[in-house]
Amino acid sequence: MSAAGSAPRLYWPAQRQRNRGVKGLLTVVAAFLALYAYLFPGLISVSGVAKFSQSWLPLVLVSMAQAILMLAGGVSLAIGAMVSLGAVIAATTMAGPLGVAGGAALVMVAGLVTGAACGIVVVRLGLPAIVVTLAASFIVGGAALLILPRPGGAIPAWLSDSLAGETPVAALLVILAVVLWKLYLATPLGLSLYAAGENSVAAYRAGVPVDSARIAAYAVSGLLSTCAGLFVAAQTGSGDPVIGEAFTLNSIAAAVLGGVGFLGGRGAMRGAVAGSLLLSVMINVMYFLGFPPVAHYIAQGLIIVGAVALPEFTARRSSP
Amino acid sequence: MRSTETVRFPKFQRRTLLMSRPFLTVLIVAALWIAASFAKPGFGAFGHLRYLVELGAVVGLAAIGQTFVVIAGGIDLSVGAIITVSAVGVPLVSFAGDESGAFAALITLAAATVIGALNGIGVALLRAHPMIMTLAMATFLQGLLILLAGGSAVSAQSPLLEWLGSARPTGVPAGVLVWAVASTLSLIALHATPFGARVFALGANSLAATLSGVNVRSTTVAVYAISGLTAGMTGLLLLGMNGQGYVGIGDPYLLSSIAAVVLGGTSILGGSGTYAGSIPGAVLLVTITALITVVNASPGWRSILFGSLILALLLVSGRESRRR
Repeated sequence: MSAAGSAPRLYWPAQRQRNRGVKGLLTVVAAFLALYAYLFPGLISVSGVAKFSQSWLPLVLVSMAQAILMLAGGVSLAIGAMVSLGAVIAATTMAGPLGVAGGAALVMVAGLVTGAACGIVVVRLGLPAIVVTLAASFIVGGAALLILPRPGGAIPAWLSDSLAGETPVAALLVILAVVLWKLYLATPLGLSLYAAGENSVAAYRAGVPVDSARIAAYAVSGLLSTCAGLFVAAQTGSGDPVIGEAFTLNSIAAAVLGGVGFLGGRGAMRGAVAGSLLLSVMINVMYFLGFPPVAHYIAQGLIIVGAVALPEFTARRSSP
Repeated sequence: MRSTETVRFPKFQRRTLLMSRPFLTVLIVAALWIAASFAKPGFGAFGHLRYLVELGAVVGLAAIGQTFVVIAGGIDLSVGAIITVSAVGVPLVSFAGDESGAFAALITLAAATVIGALNGIGVALLRAHPMIMTLAMATFLQGLLILLAGGSAVSAQSPLLEWLGSARPTGVPAGVLVWAVASTLSLIALHATPFGARVFALGANSLAATLSGVNVRSTTVAVYAISGLTAGMTGLLLLGMNGQGYVGIGDPYLLSSIAAVVLGGTSILGGSGTYAGSIPGAVLLVTITALITVVNASPGWRSILFGSLILALLLVSGRESRRR
């Protein structure tokens, strides 16, 4: 049997296996989405989709940023600071001589470089990721404060209108992010990601470029985070040096809800995307039901524990 | 018989002392203090150093529980939330007949311990990853807090809190006294009791610990309960020193408790370390913060300096061997 013939046969069973883990989550997400559409019939319209996807896009980007690292066996506590950095760079450069294209390029380069620097420190120097990214959150957050000490700056109005206006550009961007992720997984670095996270020693001995795969994961994670910051800046029309803080914990929450494990190599990106969708829909639904903001925190805490505990209980029952 | 004795207490060597992380951290603190007092005359004054140690007591108390949890192979991300809950919760549980405020403090500490134990139960029985469990707990408590305090600051006056915040028996701040007692107790618990040995065994290899007869569940619950208790003590001390509690008062202490533990030489992977390192680690952290304030830099530069210094200190001594 030729290799070309066996590849598709391996592909679909592998995909099914990955879907099995997130099936429960997808059911819950679908139920919440149906409830949301029932409460707010305007959701099923172009502007409804546009508004919803705009509130979801930053969260889905940071969840992907966190999930990449967790798949590679790392974690980042600097996601929030990176989002702030992206926001302030966008707000200070885009209305200036660099223009929108120059500003966007600068945001992306900043994300890639900062992320890669974190990755190099973690991977090459062998320091624990959680402490390095903790220190990085102070450094990156400080840099954001230097660039823009207090909320301000400006985003060209036409960019805000096209990204966060009445058209569902944000929904297209979510689809674009998922497609790009699939393409990334097809590159050698993307292919090595799971192997490096699952068992780095075995992967290394099998010839997988473990170190480069993990550094690339940190760089891509930084890129996604600063892009989320750019979108947040476009949404609000200005920059804020501490706007990203809440994203660190939310990104971990979404990835964990989606079944991505902390030890690397466990879970799939679709889980993290669905997890971020659940968080986002949940907040919207609770808002419509008139719950106070307090209830969001409590519900979020309970849902996270429930999502982790439930598989544990069902697994124990099926194989005692 | 004699051979086991020498293994347990290896012969004193100067090299061992120099290689010991807690001792190195003490050296760094001393060097920083001496250098800073030459650069800035007021820095080395007794009053200022005492103030630094008093601030260190807050970080150090929070780091006690964090040290236990990290050595046992976990991490507690709910420390900040528990500190806030106990600082904001004291006025809610104080009642008329309680003159000294001791009962309110005890109820608060008990509540904090129960919250910690719930973390432990989640980790041990539901087998949630420690980061997830404590993160979820922190989120949950954050919601509860807004419900309890309604977003406004609460103030609490009681003789006990006043004593904690401002008393100086024989020149030593009360907070430092509490810290000293708690440190002694936790050092004994960690290094001279069977419980301490179980904590180390659990962190080094939980499977091996289970097979050797360590009750992993009860040890895990105990470790997180200790973390809740010391976070509760931190909250009371902060309330005493500040005079009022507000939502977010405990937030800075989550990261500094982890940083103090790591700077003190405890492996974030678990299984090795000592609270004796976290003590100078805590003082080192507040010294760095004070130095950065002295430099009179903008908030941005201060944050960058703080992050870079932690990273530099890690590079000097925080390398993890790739055990796993």
